[in-house]
Formats: sequence, structure tokens, C-alpha cells
Amino acid sequence: MTNRIAELRKARKISQAELADGVDVTRQTIISLESGRYNASLLLAHKIARYFGLTIEEVFLFEEEETT
Amino acid sequence: MRDQLKKVFPYVMFAAAWALILAAFLLGERAPKPILLALYTLGGMLMGFGAVGIALSCIHRSPEQQKEYERGEHDERNVAIREKAAMSSWYWTLYMLWAAFMVIQIFVGGLWGVAVSVVIVLHCTFYMINIHRWNKRM
Repeated sequence: MTNRIAELRKARKISQAELADGVDVTRQTIISLESGRYNASLLLAHKIARYFGLTIEEVFLFEEEETT
Repeated sequence: MRDQLKKVFPYVMFAAAWALILAAFLLGERAPKPILLALYTLGGMLMGFGAVGIALSCIHRSPEQQKEYERGEHDERNVAIREKAAMSSWYWTLYMLWAAFMVIQIFVGGLWGVAVSVVIVLHCTFYMINIHRWNKRM
């Protein structure tokens, strides 16, 4: 699973700390999500998508191989 | 009530530690050696836990730092890290217990072998009990 968190965050000029504050996680979690080392839970994915005003599918990109 | 107990508990442990060590010191030669050893060991452990508890309770955080600390406690990545670390620790403890069991069986034998095998059984039993508990919860 990949995500567009870094891209969306930079486009809106939001810092990692601000995003972390907005979705109630630590900055380290945002760093890990952006680098792809950690996959968000459904709840966090929902919070992040809502923060950006998008759907989960628009922020998190599921690859076909992972589901098969 | 619970918060108050949490605050008092380290001091109780610290006081109990001193009481145990003092008791061991006063008993001196009159008590059997294993009892003295148990008193000193338990006293030392309680002193360690008590002192750490007291030191932690003395740390004052600003509201922002407190918020960050609480966030770190509930952060889902931190929770996942703790769960993975706990699982990994469980396996490592099991391997070490098995190694100790083999060494004891080869070189020592007797009751120590039985004691270690009981610990291994308990270690696995607690694991299975917790799996059952969480299976019902989730």
C-alpha cells in the first residue's frame, strides 16, 4: 500500500507536526506513514482522509498484488 | 481514588523495601540464610521499583508536553510496536528457558530441571489464556 500523504501535505503547506496534531498521532507516525514503513489502521486512514477532505481511496493507494 | 493510590504506591513500596531490609538486618544470624536472602532480594526489588516510581512522579510536564506524552501512549504505531516487542520478547524468553532447561538437564538435573519445566509450562499457559481472552474480546 502506498499513500499520497507527503504530496498532499506539501501541496497544502502543512507540517508533519500539524498533521500529527490534526489526526491525534505522533509526528513519528506521520514520518513512518510517509516513508511507507508503517500502514495506517482503517481508523487512522479515515481520519487522515477526512483531514484532507478526501476519501480513503484518494489518499491511500492499494496495489492489486497485496490483496491476492 | 485510583489516581491517589497510583501516587502513593511507589512510596509504600519504598517504605516496605526499607522495612524488609531492616528486618533482615535485625534478624541477622537468627534467621535461616534462605529467608535472609529472600528478604534482601525482595527489599532490593521493591526499593528499585519504588525509587523509579518516585522519580517518575517528580517529573513535571507542561500541558503541551503532557498532551504529547499521552498522545504517545495511545498512538497506534506505538501500540503496534509494543505488541510486536512483547511477542518477540515472549519467544526469546521461551528460547532462553529451553536453553536453561537443556543445560540443567545435562549438567545439574534434579529439582532445578523440574522448576524450569514448570516455568516453561506456565509461560505457555499464560500465552494460551491470553489468546483465549483476546479471542473473546475481538
